[in-house]
Amino acid sequence: MKRNHLLLYVVGVAALLLFPLGITNPYYIHLLETIMIYAIVLFGLDIVVGYTGQVSLGHAGLFGVGAYTAGVLVTKLGAPLLVALIAAVGVTSVFGALLALPALRVTGPYLAMVTLAFGTIVQILINEMDFLTSGPMGIKLSKPPLLGHQLDEREFFWLVAVLMVLALIVVHRVLRSHLGRAFEALRGSPVASDCMGVSVYRYKVYAFVISAGFAGLAGSLYAYSEQYISPNTYNFELTVLFLLAVIMGGRKSRIGAMLGAAIIVLLPKLLDDVVLFRYVSVALALLVLATALIGIRRGRTTVQQMAIPVVGSIALAGLSFWLQTMTDWRLSIFGVIMLFVVYYLQDGIVGFVRSALNLQRPKATEASTVVAASAHGDAVTTAAAGDHGAEILNASDVLMQFGGLKALNNVSLSIRRGTIHGLIGPNGSGKSTMMNVLTGIYVPTAGALTFGGRSLVGRTSSDIALSGIARTFQNVQLFGEMTALQNVQVGLHHSFASNLFDVALHTPRYGRESRAAVERAMGLLRFVGLADLAFEEARNLPYGKQRLLEIARALALDPQLLLLDEPAAGLTAPDIKELISFIRKIRDHGITVILIEHHMDVVMSMCDTVSVLDFGQKIAEGVPAQVQADEKVIEAYLGGTAA
Amino acid sequence: MSADTKMLTISNLFAGYGKVQVLHGISIEVPKGKVVTLIGSNGAGKTTTMRAVSGMIAPTAGEISLNGKRIEGMESYHIAKLGLAHSPEGRRVFATMTVSDNLILGAFPRLTGARPKGDVNADLERALELFPRLKERREQLAGTLSGGEQQMLAMARAVMLNPEVVLLDEPSMGLAPILVAEVFRIIERLKSEGVTMLLVEQFAAAALGVADYGYVLENGRISVHGPADKLRNDPAVKAAYLGGSSSH
Repeated sequence: MKRNHLLLYVVGVAALLLFPLGITNPYYIHLLETIMIYAIVLFGLDIVVGYTGQVSLGHAGLFGVGAYTAGVLVTKLGAPLLVALIAAVGVTSVFGALLALPALRVTGPYLAMVTLAFGTIVQILINEMDFLTSGPMGIKLSKPPLLGHQLDEREFFWLVAVLMVLALIVVHRVLRSHLGRAFEALRGSPVASDCMGVSVYRYKVYAFVISAGFAGLAGSLYAYSEQYISPNTYNFELTVLFLLAVIMGGRKSRIGAMLGAAIIVLLPKLLDDVVLFRYVSVALALLVLATALIGIRRGRTTVQQMAIPVVGSIALAGLSFWLQTMTDWRLSIFGVIMLFVVYYLQDGIVGFVRSALNLQRPKATEASTVVAASAHGDAVTTAAAGDHGAEILNASDVLMQFGGLKALNNVSLSIRRGTIHGLIGPNGSGKSTMMNVLTGIYVPTAGALTFGGRSLVGRTSSDIALSGIARTFQNVQLFGEMTALQNVQVGLHHSFASNLFDVALHTPRYGRESRAAVERAMGLLRFVGLADLAFEEARNLPYGKQRLLEIARALALDPQLLLLDEPAAGLTAPDIKELISFIRKIRDHGITVILIEHHMDVVMSMCDTVSVLDFGQKIAEGVPAQVQADEKVIEAYLGGTAA
Repeated sequence: MSADTKMLTISNLFAGYGKVQVLHGISIEVPKGKVVTLIGSNGAGKTTTMRAVSGMIAPTAGEISLNGKRIEGMESYHIAKLGLAHSPEGRRVFATMTVSDNLILGAFPRLTGARPKGDVNADLERALELFPRLKERREQLAGTLSGGEQQMLAMARAVMLNPEVVLLDEPSMGLAPILVAEVFRIIERLKSEGVTMLLVEQFAAAALGVADYGYVLENGRISVHGPADKLRNDPAVKAAYLGGSSSH
C-alpha cells in the first residue's frame, strides 16, 4: 500500500472519529450516523449489483429483517447489544440465501420483479406478525449498553463508525480476494465460470448471503440509531434509493458506496433549506465546470458532450436563487438531479471523476509487487503420471438430441493419455456439442462418458472442471471487465483453501495462497506470451490474444485433459506457428489435448489421432495421413482442392 | 490507382480503446469496384480500422470519406444509411430471429426509405442463392445455426444493404476448409458483380489472391502497400504473413 494512501485513510478515520467532538449538535451526528449505516448496506449491495451483476430490489427488506431481529430480541428477550448484532447478521444472511434462490433461475428484469416481491412480502409480514413485531405500531428501543456501560448518542456514533470501518475493510478484502474474483467472473461469463471450477450456483448464493449479512448489520444498527422501527420504513422507495445510491456513487467502488449513501441521506435534507441549496448548487456547477474543462483540455471529451451537463448545473444554480422557498419544488428537483446523474454518469460519480482526471483503477497491490519479483519458473503443472497411452476418456454411443435434431448420433471416442486428439468436421457437425457434453454444459440424451474411470454424466460443469477437464471456447468467453491476470487467477480458484474468515483477517494461509496464485498466473501469462498485457482488461485485447488468454486460464486449472475449440481461428500464419509450438509444450507436460480446428496444417502436423464428425456421426478415424486420404472426409469436409 | 473513383478514403486515421491507442495514422484508399485487403498479425489494428470506418468506435483523429462524404465520428446507423455495410468479426447475428428475417433486417435502411428501395425480395432470393446452406435453413432461428453458417449469414446480411462498400472482417474464420474455399468463391463473385470491398482475412495468401490491392498493417501503421500480386511475391511479406497456410 502506498504511504500517502495510508495517510489518507488514517486522516479519514480520525476525522470521522473526531467529528462528534467538534460538532456537538446531535442532529448532525445522527445524520452522519445514518450515512454510515447506509454505507454498510451499500457495501453489501454493491457485491450483488456491481460484482455479480444481479439486480436486487430486496435489500430494503433485508435491512428491515436486520432491524426487526435486533428490535424483537431486545424487547422480547432483553438481548444485549452484541448478541442482537450477531443474531441480526445471522438471521438476515439466511434470508439472503432465500433471496438468492430466484437469482439462480432468472436474471434481469425478472429477477428485479422477484426481489421486489420479496421486499414487499417482508414488509407485509412485519406488519401482520403483531405478536412479534407489534405490527404497524412499531417497536421502541433505547441506546444499548455495551459491556455494562450505557452508550450515549456520541458513543453510539463511535460504535457505528468503528463497525463501518471494519465492514469496509472486510468487504474490500473479500472483493480483492479469490471470492471477489469469483463474483466478478459470474458477471463476465457464467458458462466460463462453471468451466473454471467456480460454481455459479454456489457463488451466487454466497454473494447474496454475504450481501445480506451487511444489510442485517446495518439494519440492527439502524434500529438502535433511530430508537424506533416501524414497517413502513422498509418500503419500495428505500430499496430504490439503495440501488440508485450504488449506481450514482459508482459500482465496484467502496468510495462510491459511501458517496452514494451521503447523497441519498443529504440530498433530501439539502433540498429542505433554500439557503443551503444555493451554496450546494453553486458548488456543484463549479465542480461540473471544472471537470468539463479538465476533460476537454486532456482531450477525453468534447465541448458538445459537456455542454448539457454544464448548462444544466448552471441553470440549477440559477433556479436556486430564483426560488424563494423549496417546499413545493423539493421532490421535483430531487428527481431531476437523480435522472441527470444516472443518465450522464453511467459509471457513477467515482467512475466519472476517474475518467475525467484520467486516473487508473487501483490495481491489486499484492499483484504489482509480486510481478516484479516473481521468478521464471515453469508455470504449467505436469499432469499426474499415468500410463502413457492408456485410455483417459471414453465416450460410448453418445446421443445428444435437441428436439428432432440429433446433434450427436451415437458417437464413440476413446482418447489416450498424453496424446493430441484432433476432432474435425464440417460446421454444424457436432464438434462443439461434443465439447459441451464432455464439460457438463449439456447432459447427453443417452450414452456413457467416463473420464479417468469415473462417469461424467449428470455431474455439474464445475465439478467436471475440478476433476481435471479444462477447456477454451469457440466464441471467446473471457471475463471482459477483469484484467488478463485476474482472468487466469479465476482459473486458479481451485488452489485456494482459504475461507471467508481467512480472507477477512488476511491469515498467513490466505497470504501464502494469494501470492502463489499471482506468481502462477504471471507464469502462465508468460507461457502464452501475454505477460506485458497482464493488467490490460481482457475485453481490450485483440481477438487472437483473447484466445491465448483463454488457454492460459484453462491451464490454470491444472488439467489432465485440455479441450481446445478452434484455437487458431483468427490467427495469422506466424501466430499459428507459435500456437503449434506451445500446444506441443502442453502435451510434453503430460496433458492430454483434444483439438477442434479447421486449419489442416495445425491438425495434420500435431495430432496423433484424428476423428471426423459429419451430421453428428463419426465418419472416419485414424492417423492424420489416413484421414486426409479418406474419400468420405474429402467429400464432406476437405473439399477437392485441399490435401 | 489515382485514375479510379475513390469509394472509401481513410487518411491519417488514429483510433483506439480508452487509453490504448491502436492506430497511429493510417491511410487507405478503396477505389470503386475494387477489392482491397488489409493484412497484419494479431493486434496490428485490422479490426480496429474496420470498427472506426463503420462508426463502432470514434476515431481520435484523421479523416474517413465514403463516396466523397466525410463520415468519421458519425453513428454507425447513419454510416450504414450512406451505404457502408459491415460484416463484423465473430458472427454477430440476431440469434432469436430467423435467417430470412436477419437478411431482411440487413436491408432495413432500404425499407425505411433511407436508401433506394429496389426489390428487397429479389435480393433476398439472390442472397440465398449465393449461400445455398442458408437457403436450406431460411426459416431456422439464426442462433441455432452452426458457427460457420452464422458467419455466412453475417456476410449475406451485409450484402442485403445494396451497399456502396462492404467491410468483411475475417469472413472465413472458423469455417471448414471446404467452406473457406466457398467463401472466397463468393467474394470473387461479388467482386465480378462490381461490389467494392475492404477485406480482413487470416488467410493472407488467399486474400491477396482475390484482392486488387493490399495494405500491410504493423503495430497500427501501414508498413507496405501495393498491388496484390506484387505483395504476394514480396519476400518480406511472404515470410511474415503468407507462410504455412497449406490448406490453400
